Amino acid sequence: MKNKNKKKWYILFTVPLLIIFTTVVIIPFLIGIYYSFFEWDGIAANAKEFVGLDNFVQLAGDERFRESAWLTILFTVLSVVTINAIGLAFALLVTSKIKSANAARTMLFMPYLIGGLILGYIWQFVFLDVFTLLGEVTGLDQIFFNWLIDPEFALFGLVFVFTWQMAGYIMIIYIAGLQGIPNDVIEASKIDGASPWQRFIRITLPLLMPALTISLFLTLSSAFKIYDVNLSLTGGGPANATELFAMNIYNEIFGSGNYGLGQAKAIVFFLIVAAITLTQVYITKKREVEM
Amino acid sequence: MTFQRKIVGGLVLAPLMLALAACSGGDDNSEGGGESSEQKITIFQSKVEISDQLAAMAEEYTEETGVEVEVLGTTGDDYFQQLQIRLNSEQGPSIFSLQNVTEAERLESYIYDLSSEEYVQHIAPDMELALGEKIVGVPYGVEGFGMIYNKDLVNPEDVADYESFVSTLEKFNAEGINGFSLAQDAYFLIGHISNYPFSIQEDPYGFVEQMNAGEVTAAETPEFQEFADFMVAIKENTPTPLSMTYDQQVGDFAAGKTAMIHQGNWASGILSEFEYDFEIGMLPFPLMGNDKLAVGVGNNWAINSQKDEGEIQAANDFLNWMSTSETGHRYIVEEFGFVPALTNIDAGELDPLSQAVLDATNSGETIPWAQSVYPANIVPNDLTPFAQAFFSEDMTAEEFLQGFDQAWQGAQ
Repeated sequence: MKNKNKKKWYILFTVPLLIIFTTVVIIPFLIGIYYSFFEWDGIAANAKEFVGLDNFVQLAGDERFRESAWLTILFTVLSVVTINAIGLAFALLVTSKIKSANAARTMLFMPYLIGGLILGYIWQFVFLDVFTLLGEVTGLDQIFFNWLIDPEFALFGLVFVFTWQMAGYIMIIYIAGLQGIPNDVIEASKIDGASPWQRFIRITLPLLMPALTISLFLTLSSAFKIYDVNLSLTGGGPANATELFAMNIYNEIFGSGNYGLGQAKAIVFFLIVAAITLTQVYITKKREVEM
Repeated sequence: MTFQRKIVGGLVLAPLMLALAACSGGDDNSEGGGESSEQKITIFQSKVEISDQLAAMAEEYTEETGVEVEVLGTTGDDYFQQLQIRLNSEQGPSIFSLQNVTEAERLESYIYDLSSEEYVQHIAPDMELALGEKIVGVPYGVEGFGMIYNKDLVNPEDVADYESFVSTLEKFNAEGINGFSLAQDAYFLIGHISNYPFSIQEDPYGFVEQMNAGEVTAAETPEFQEFADFMVAIKENTPTPLSMTYDQQVGDFAAGKTAMIHQGNWASGILSEFEYDFEIGMLPFPLMGNDKLAVGVGNNWAINSQKDEGEIQAANDFLNWMSTSETGHRYIVEEFGFVPALTNIDAGELDPLSQAVLDATNSGETIPWAQSVYPANIVPNDLTPFAQAFFSEDMTAEEFLQGFDQAWQGAQ
């Protein structure tokens, strides 16, 4: 009887999700694969021409796609490093015995609650007004100017804002990880005379590996897929200097009206993200230490 | 146990009921539409500024004729994508707007041929949207752009050619006033202004085609060479337009911080929201001594040919009513604030910018909008990134021309 009931609950909660997931993810994904073999401008009444793998071949010679691939990788590497470093630092800070740790925890998490689009528009103002003002007041106008209109700096601006958004969220995961570390191990190391730095490297970090696995996975995949902040902060500009993968695909499909080619890009994009994140999870999982 | 079962049952049933209710609701609607014998039409269009007024007009139309008209909303930014999505999912509107021939070509299979309709005879000469021999769109109204200037600060004679334009910019620069301002959005940054070297050619549209075919390049065309000099002068003497939004551009102008902005008569709406105590006017952009405003049609009404006959007829009736009835005319001129492109409308009182455009149109002192025959999406996709590069990097006039040619060829 009990078992049967469990099954009911299972079905109740799983089936609706499965239906939604199938209709909005699986089916469109399969249709997308189908479209990637066609040359089509996305207008239903216009002809679809079967071109086989031509779209994928064409990708190899698409300079703008390669450029955006490179930018995406650069963006991802930079933001994964900064988000995790800052997130971990935040977590250590708010779990230490400082006053107002709880308030700090809330404040640091807050940016994650703001939608990416709004965040981008807000930071546009910050870069335009605050940064230029800071530059004028301090005289450091080599560092403080509107980053978003400089092709070299706009990407860093994007990393900066994305870090600001994500670090608090990653902090929460690290906090959970830190709290899972048994106190007796720490205490034992203190008695053995380990310095705080040694404790961090030899004990805390290895025991944090499961949290690291999750955090890296989350930051990697969301940095790769970023679109909202990208759109509202820079719109891919200036001069395509911040046109990341997702935006490049959108522009190809809706901007240039190359539906098939855009879908092909999306498929390649999916494979790359899947390959990288799976590899990362595989590697970091192996380094996790059993207690 | 029974209690639990009830909850489970209720939880499962609730969404089911909802789904059923939704389905039956849908059925009711379509049946209701058929029974009343009055056809319902839907309108989807890209000009956000007139959505409220259009809805009001639709309501009056319903009152007069009993035909229900639904105006669908959009934010305007990605109108064409939204239209495409609606058409693809077979929820296309009966009437939609098209900006230009390039859009019309892409949607050719959805566009109804208006040539035989009576009301198209009122369209001002050369202002109809045509696809080959067919008339496929009724213009919203004519629009014109040029340099909107502050009459207290600028004397038209001082910006009549390249030399005077540059020395005026330099003078303003020394005084700490922004002499001339573009804005960061695609059309306000490069779309409209890049129109000039094309449209002062003898055959502007033909020249665009020659550019597309690679038969001519910007680098070897004198109009473009001077255009490049203009752009360099603007870049050197004014703050970068890359951090200037449309609102800010117009606001700064109204506040007297900017002497001239490159805008169209459509800006008078937003301009009137600011308080300013000087007179304004619109001047031609003086490329190669050009003394004519760029006037064209920004938007056209088109009918969805994939709808059934009844709905197409109803859509035709609506456009006919709008182009010939008094109420329709009142809305076009007074409520939408358009400069009419129909010869049977009396323009009445206009704001100074629209008046300038109408005067130019009536006297024939206009140059066309070459940007309406540019390759599809070239302005946001190719020219804007190029212009952003130009304004953020060191670029000479020669490099500007090379970059322009490259951007143009990249769009092919």
